[in-house]
Amino acid sequence: MERLHLEHVLQSVSALESIILRSFGPEGGQVLFTRDTGRVMLSRSGERILTALHLEHPLARMVVECVWKHSTITGDGSKTFVLLLASLLRMIRATAAKEPHMSRLHNSTAAAAEAATARHLADRLLEFALTELDGLIALNVLPHGSRVSLDDITAKTPPEPSFQTLLLSFFHTRLGNVHCEFFRDLMCELLSRWMGKTGQPSSSFRFIDNNFPALHTQVSGLPAVSSRLIEGHVIHRDFATPWPQQNRRPVKAVVFSGYLQPRLLAAGDVLELGGEESVTEDASVVRFSSWTERSLESVIATLQSFGVSVLLCALKQSSAALALAAQAGMGLVECVSDEEMSLFAQLSGVTPVPDSWAVHPEHIATLTFCKPLILGAHRYVHLDFQDAEERLKVKPCSLVICGPGEEQTDQYARAFQAAIRMLLTAWEPVDKTEISTLDVKETFISNKCTSLPTDAISGESACTSCSMHPHQKCVIEPGCVIPAGGTFEFLLHHALHQYDRSCSVSVSISAFVPVSHILANALLSVPRQIYSHNRKRFLQAQTRVMALAPQQSHILGARLRQTDGPPEDGKQSARSCRKDSAALTLLDLGLESVSCKYHLVLAVVQCLTSLLRVNKVLRTHTVLHTTSHKLLSARLESPEDVDKDESP
Amino acid sequence: MQASVPTATRIKMNSSQTTSRLVKKSPSVCTDLPLSSSDVRDKLRLMKELLGSCYGPTARLKQVHNNIGGSVVTTSTSSVLLQAITSSRPVIGLIKSSVLNHVSRFGDCGLFAAVLCLSLVEEAARRGVGNSAAIRAYDRLLALCTGYLQREDCGCRVELDFCSSRSLIALARTVVSSKPTCVLAEPESAHIGRLAVRAFLLTVPCDAPDPVRLGRTVTVPVEGRPVLESAVFPGLLLDAPEHLCGLAGVRGPVRAVLFSASLAGDLGELGDGRIEVHAGVDTDAQILDRLLELGRQALEDGVKLFVCQKVIHPVLQHYLRCGGLIVIERVGVSLMEPLIQLTGAQPVATLHAAIPSAAYGEVHDVSIRHFGSKTMLHLHPAGETAVCSMVLCHRNETMLNELKLVCQKAEHVLRLTLREPWALLGGGCTETLLAAYVRHKVRTASVLFSITFTSASPHNDRASTLVSQSKNDAPEATSALGCSQTEYLLAAEAFCRSLESVAACLEHDGGASVIDLTHAHHWTLPSDVTEQHLEGGTAAALCGCGALESCQKKKWSYLNSECAEFSPAPLSTASPLRQPAVLDSFSAKVNALRVAVETANLVLDVRYVIQDVN
Repeated sequence: MERLHLEHVLQSVSALESIILRSFGPEGGQVLFTRDTGRVMLSRSGERILTALHLEHPLARMVVECVWKHSTITGDGSKTFVLLLASLLRMIRATAAKEPHMSRLHNSTAAAAEAATARHLADRLLEFALTELDGLIALNVLPHGSRVSLDDITAKTPPEPSFQTLLLSFFHTRLGNVHCEFFRDLMCELLSRWMGKTGQPSSSFRFIDNNFPALHTQVSGLPAVSSRLIEGHVIHRDFATPWPQQNRRPVKAVVFSGYLQPRLLAAGDVLELGGEESVTEDASVVRFSSWTERSLESVIATLQSFGVSVLLCALKQSSAALALAAQAGMGLVECVSDEEMSLFAQLSGVTPVPDSWAVHPEHIATLTFCKPLILGAHRYVHLDFQDAEERLKVKPCSLVICGPGEEQTDQYARAFQAAIRMLLTAWEPVDKTEISTLDVKETFISNKCTSLPTDAISGESACTSCSMHPHQKCVIEPGCVIPAGGTFEFLLHHALHQYDRSCSVSVSISAFVPVSHILANALLSVPRQIYSHNRKRFLQAQTRVMALAPQQSHILGARLRQTDGPPEDGKQSARSCRKDSAALTLLDLGLESVSCKYHLVLAVVQCLTSLLRVNKVLRTHTVLHTTSHKLLSARLESPEDVDKDESP
Repeated sequence: MQASVPTATRIKMNSSQTTSRLVKKSPSVCTDLPLSSSDVRDKLRLMKELLGSCYGPTARLKQVHNNIGGSVVTTSTSSVLLQAITSSRPVIGLIKSSVLNHVSRFGDCGLFAAVLCLSLVEEAARRGVGNSAAIRAYDRLLALCTGYLQREDCGCRVELDFCSSRSLIALARTVVSSKPTCVLAEPESAHIGRLAVRAFLLTVPCDAPDPVRLGRTVTVPVEGRPVLESAVFPGLLLDAPEHLCGLAGVRGPVRAVLFSASLAGDLGELGDGRIEVHAGVDTDAQILDRLLELGRQALEDGVKLFVCQKVIHPVLQHYLRCGGLIVIERVGVSLMEPLIQLTGAQPVATLHAAIPSAAYGEVHDVSIRHFGSKTMLHLHPAGETAVCSMVLCHRNETMLNELKLVCQKAEHVLRLTLREPWALLGGGCTETLLAAYVRHKVRTASVLFSITFTSASPHNDRASTLVSQSKNDAPEATSALGCSQTEYLLAAEAFCRSLESVAACLEHDGGASVIDLTHAHHWTLPSDVTEQHLEGGTAAALCGCGALESCQKKKWSYLNSECAEFSPAPLSTASPLRQPAVLDSFSAKVNALRVAVETANLVLDVRYVIQDVN
């Protein structure tokens, strides 16, 4: 049994932080891993770096778990997560050491009291974050941000601040300096094709995210600039039959989920040959196999009568099926993966045939072409759907990602998927009813500040996503962005300090250290690391951001009180402040999504709370261990028996 | 007693499994900033020396053998060598996998990519260029190079003329002669080069519909015969079964049938269930009856050539042979596709139906050929089928294996020319020329840059117009890259030096590498040549690629020494101009250049290494 002190928690988080820092910020680089299998992996993504570590300490594992959960949802911010967490822990430790808790008992040690204080602080921090943070962000950060539109995705020189800049900054953090512009353009093109003429952008993002494995192909051995989009859909299998050079267009295709040649005997069935009760003359096994062949022939004949020339099968087919299909001039593709089957079904609008006998006209998909495609070392099947543009309002296309080695292609592909997730979080649709009227909330701020920390929030709720929480009121407009490079942190830092001051004026309980103060100071560690190579630039950036902050918040506060709480509040303020935010974009730091940042802060505070609630680690021995010892000793005692048993 | 057997063995298995599973995982080994560690640098340098000494026609060979007494491999080929190298340093593994991937796509220029990449990393560190500055600069310079190589007036690109086989043979010969493990004499490598081009031309179909599908070359290795007996035949060569050795050959169109299913008498696919056979039922005989029925049909339909991918039942074989058929079994799946292409037959996999008449194919005639100890059946195509066979002969197995590899590479390189019909000057000339070009571009631009921005003289206007006229690089580059001009110049120098050091790697006999200061081609001087010979122009007769002859007027400079920058003159101004004899594949080299720079950038970007040492 091991008692956990605050010190231990901080140590393990700091160890993680030190690894993360190497790839953080504009001067960060790659982290290279080798697996025990000898496979090499490269990454700048915090999530991948952390999950690839073999961690011993349960606390560190818990942190990694939280980071992983956060970044699978938002696709971004895993490095900042660890940084912020470490910084918050340091702040809490400093505060707890300085200020003994009121409920300190006489017989408890100093360490225990410190832990208790830390726990209380963390709980209050969580409550603060859940109740006040969204309002503060909406008041003080959103006005400096702006909303980017998805209308001009492919424009070469879109008006600033643009969607392109947001993507560029994202790829910058994932891939370094070299290829981000190239991949940004590729991504924009991909999105513009998949975004329907109508409908929510988030649904398109969701679609790409869900089908990403089937939508991209990795090719190693080629430079990254060979990556491209190709029309239509790629099935990552080759034709199992010699490909017929057909010029017939359109091509008709059928998808099979089972075997073409019927399986006579299912597992467990018994075929008796030549028993007394069977008919003696016709007891030949040849009869059965010829029956399966004949039914296969009739299936192929049916397909020929429909004019089908391409068969896509989920399972491996018999050699007779392949030969007959080849003779009928059909291309047959076996072992198509489930993801590709489902994407094909979605794009073509036909369902797979479960039983090879029951092929109906509605199972037949019409393709404009279907041909082999050589990408790198592999030959795939490349096809395109007829009328997809009218039917689905999108232009189906597939992404080919190239890189010199497998590890790079993998890294590029992961960056793409993470970018999609980031966009998904940034353009999360707002439930209109949930948008609160901000001015109502403002009046309660002073009251809430005094409220005592409650332990009502259970451990489970701390781990669940913030959108589940009843207090949660999402005021962040979809697509709202803010200049990167610490702007969000500077602004929120400033806002928290102001909030802090207003609280301490109205309420004079000095016994509590305001948690907003802790959060405010912890936030600053992020820009500090961004500019760690150049202190001067940190101060410059801070001054520039701060110069805008105070006046803005007053003006905005006034404006918000005047408008009487219609749901358009956030949008109006964001739009009206576009002129001011132009000053911020001069910093030339790229953009990041406000929504992602907000989720990040919430997730960090939740993780912190759950970390500090643990007080002991129990190290148990597995049962397996002891039994194996017993077995081993049993064997050692009677080696003769074993030998004797083995010999015959 | 009998019952106790399984339990005892199970216990034993269990204990061994659990003990192996319960071995505690050792923690990962972490290295911070790997490139600044001297051990990593030493290993990178060692690897560069190792691979550099394998580069080019006069390369030193390497013997690879493992510590448990495996077979010894002698090679200088990057694909074999890199696969054999294992390193405790993951950075080396990274370079290795990039180069191997490149080689598997393009089949050539693997060593070039590896040496250039290692050299780029080393030079950047030696010159103290910051990692991120070097990455940005290298990327920029790579774009400069590839842009130049795509230009019409590029000095190191040669257009391939498909009307004559001369340049194609030069291309194939460069591939063949760059692999000294084959131990080929001059006429032998010329012969192999010609064969490679012949085989390539045979696999290009003449009147194929769009899209064109290239045919196949099937290689037949024959050990113990002189290299000059190697030959290329249209059609296919199959191992002849013993009963055919006395066959003189079958004339006239020969009807053929191909089976892709096994004819050994095994049961068809009925499913996963069990089959219970009672006494008195002979399933084997039932199936054999069916097989003989198939054989009878083939006989009646006038089939003369009976080929099966898998095994044929001996009774059926005997039956068919008695009918006068040529029976070939176990051809394997890799030969099936060229066989289908050659004969035009549809492979048959159904045993219970009659063979459809559409399934039969045809070959023009069948003859027997002898190569050393091997007897082969030669199937002549009925029409133009783009299938050919290449018989490769060599004295021993090691050399033969390497020769096979080399011929595959030559075929790959030749096929690449169909997409991009150019070649690059070989023998190190492309590298020196590119280096001279990059140096010229970067320096002129930076000189103009300093004039425009530092002096306030009346020349300012002229200078700035010059800047806008010449496609200068440094000023706009530094503003866009966010690195200082000094850093950019240092990185550019590192880039040029790396290119030149690859050219210098071609010389292994202690000779010196020089470039001429007019065309920037690469020349090698034997070690006994002095300065005087150099000045007199009598030292080296031809440059690396063989396009230039030495003459007295030329000015020389040793590679890797300080020299004045100059703009390389186009080849057309040279006299006398010869046909370049050494050519490299354009596609492979451009890709190798890109892969090398991208990989070097990646290595420079690695800040932290975590090794799982379990």
